[in-house]
Amino acid sequence: MEASQMIMEELGDIMNSISGPFSSPPINPPGESAELAAIICAIIALYAVIRVILEPDIMRKLPFLNVFSFGVAGIMALLIPHPLGIIAAAAYFIGSTFESNAIASTFAGGVEE
Amino acid sequence: MNILLFLIFFVIILAGGIYAGFARDPYAKLIGIGLIGGGVMPLIIARGYVDVATALAVIIPLSTIFVLQLCRKGAV
Repeated sequence: MEASQMIMEELGDIMNSISGPFSSPPINPPGESAELAAIICAIIALYAVIRVILEPDIMRKLPFLNVFSFGVAGIMALLIPHPLGIIAAAAYFIGSTFESNAIASTFAGGVEE
Repeated sequence: MNILLFLIFFVIILAGGIYAGFARDPYAKLIGIGLIGGGVMPLIIARGYVDVATALAVIIPLSTIFVLQLCRKGAV
């Protein structure tokens, strides 16, 4: 039983020593500067949401939806200093831009057939 | 995660939900749903579910694009 535990611990050490996107060091809490940057991004996102809601024209809402998405992607990257967090932020960045562009394209009439 | 960030995203999700509920235009409703999805994402990340956030970042825009097929300009 103890031998198997030792083998598992050694295996864990070996897995931690390999560099790569899925074997990063343990997550450390972000520093104060990252926290401040995240709060600034959140305030920008909140402003964009207020503009989205108050804007009467739909085409004018979409740039602010993009600003909101960029702010959220920045917060996602800043909150967790982990490679998977960066991948998630990049995926959200690309996906939300696609979403806004799809809404704008469909609203404008789409591709003519 | 700072409590201020929690509060800001709570307000964003609530505003997006209320806006999506009361908006008359289908495109405005979709924008409201996008606000909800964006507001949820940092809360998931803050709990450490990074893989869930990655999957959601792909699924939410895809679902929006599928819903867009239903509310094309001529079909409304």
